[in-house]
Amino acid sequence: MVSIEIEAFTRVEGNGGAEIVIEDGQVKEVKVKIFEGPRFFELLTLGRYYYDVPDLEARICAICYLSHSVASVRGIENAFGVKVTREIELLRELALIGELLESHALHLYLLVAPDLFGYADAIRMASKHGEIVKEGFTIKAFGNYIRETIGGREIHGINIKPGGFGRYPTVEELEKIEKNSEALLTFAKRIIGLFASQKPLGAKAKYYIATNGYLYGDKLIASDGESFDYFEHIEERSLPYSFAKQSHYKGEIFMVGALPRLILKNNMLTPMAKRLFEEYKEQLSQGYVSLNNLAQAIELIYALERAREIVKELLDKGINGENITIEPKEGEGIGYVEAPRGALIHHYRIDERGNIAYSNIITPTAFNHAMMELSLFTEAKKRYGNTSEMEFMQKMEETVRAFDPCISCSVHLTFL
Amino acid sequence: MMLKLGVFELTGCGGCALNILFLYEKLFDLLEFYEIKEFHMASSFKEHDHLDVAVVTGSVSTQRDLDLLKYARNHSNYLIALGTCATHGSVQGSVEGKIREKLEKVYGTRANPMKALDSKPITEYVAVDYALPGCPYDKDEIYQVLMNLAKGVEPPRKDYPVCIECKLNEYECVLVKKGIPCLGPITLGGCNAICVKSGLGCIGCRGPLPKDANPAEEFEILKKLGYDEEYIRRKFKTFARGEIRW
Repeated sequence: MVSIEIEAFTRVEGNGGAEIVIEDGQVKEVKVKIFEGPRFFELLTLGRYYYDVPDLEARICAICYLSHSVASVRGIENAFGVKVTREIELLRELALIGELLESHALHLYLLVAPDLFGYADAIRMASKHGEIVKEGFTIKAFGNYIRETIGGREIHGINIKPGGFGRYPTVEELEKIEKNSEALLTFAKRIIGLFASQKPLGAKAKYYIATNGYLYGDKLIASDGESFDYFEHIEERSLPYSFAKQSHYKGEIFMVGALPRLILKNNMLTPMAKRLFEEYKEQLSQGYVSLNNLAQAIELIYALERAREIVKELLDKGINGENITIEPKEGEGIGYVEAPRGALIHHYRIDERGNIAYSNIITPTAFNHAMMELSLFTEAKKRYGNTSEMEFMQKMEETVRAFDPCISCSVHLTFL
Repeated sequence: MMLKLGVFELTGCGGCALNILFLYEKLFDLLEFYEIKEFHMASSFKEHDHLDVAVVTGSVSTQRDLDLLKYARNHSNYLIALGTCATHGSVQGSVEGKIREKLEKVYGTRANPMKALDSKPITEYVAVDYALPGCPYDKDEIYQVLMNLAKGVEPPRKDYPVCIECKLNEYECVLVKKGIPCLGPITLGGCNAICVKSGLGCIGCRGPLPKDANPAEEFEILKKLGYDEEYIRRKFKTFARGEIRW
């Protein structure tokens, strides 16, 4: 028995690698090893006052800190039985859209595009394809402008609070968002074809899972038509070779992310995104994980269109700027949010003084862990023995990259 | 002569490495002076070489982190601890308890095949030439530090609290006027008081002011405002558990 080691995945967030086990000249098993150290976030928030908790949870991940803040405030508000206003909901959705733009632009333009053009990174790619890199930076910077305006800072802002915001955006800031989201559509449209031309990689998941709303919700939905709370059908288990746990839905491997979102929720898409979905529907339905990249590119269009819709509604009604007052009481609640890379769950029990008594967080990369192994296994089986070592390793990395994994998130660790 | 630069990521949220990419066009300005030999979030290119400058982000939370840190220290002339995880341990460093007890609570076993360690800042293990805290730091700070080094100038070290930047921006004092628990008086500045701009209290993400801080008085002020001692203690320790003054 021999193994091929992928020492560390590059152009992904965090520290992880893979071991491909070969027996009798056949690929026998693939282990995705997450060796980013454990971070114990559930222990960190235990006993702390609910109001301070979203600021801490944000620090699980820099690329998707607002997904964590929003999931956290939604979980806390659900525990208290608090309903927020339409204005607060819309502003939170806008924050998630900013994050989607920032994260997808990073992934597509700076991390994946170098594979398609054959470079080691975007900086080297910029020498020949400077225009694309620059357009990627522009979309990313715009996403970050939204993150700073609504979230309080580009990374780890603390403006998203249970019951509302520290500060509400001004009319000028919202108008700037509206104007830019229209202008950037031209850039985003240009790259769809590029990602549609990527050769298929990885496997097809048996099930897709997403939240019931496009970017957040109060239930999970699955491709078998089920609508459920995560603990009803998802089981987590620990692995000896990884600090991230692995999940199964009804005992089967599933996938979360942009591709599952498009397949399960295309009826919620904005007009241009919907047209693009219809155009590439057949290709997307083939289900290879590499199509997650194309799905993300279509979501860039969705995010830009949806940002305009939200800002228009906010400006038409005028910003009221009123927070909801919260009276802490005992309760339990779950926040479901779509992080850029898939469904994210924050689950809390809070005591009568408003302190956290229990918390459980499951991140998209932990959800996708088993699917990542299956995809690498499929790809390795297909290529082992008939491609050069360099090509083999390159394709393995590209397969993992298609999940847009966020390894920092996956090692927060959970109670069971 | 181009300077050789390596960016190393230990355990953390990835934000301190990501923040370098957020420099956008300014990143290309830096590349006039530096060639990147290691930066795994951004590039598949990697070359083992002696580095002029090593930037280390994250905290030491596994044996692998420690090995990587030692590699970075032994192969560089100038090492920058970047971000509060590297300088003070940050949030993951503030979780109390022994590593095997924590693993047991979470995995249901005291076995530690992946060699997790108690999470600590890199300053506990190696000598650091420059420490730039912040969760995250302001991206222009790292730009300035690297530009200074490229020009052979020792980068300046900040020594004033967040309060100073709050006053310069003429933000209303949330501690005095609204009774919001704000750690601005005892926290190192450099963030331009960005959280107070949102009308919120500083949560101390840049770690303690190196000198002249008066945590005891801050403690008394918060107590008088009605916050209980345990609450204040945990707030102080969130980003810098190892700080001896609190």
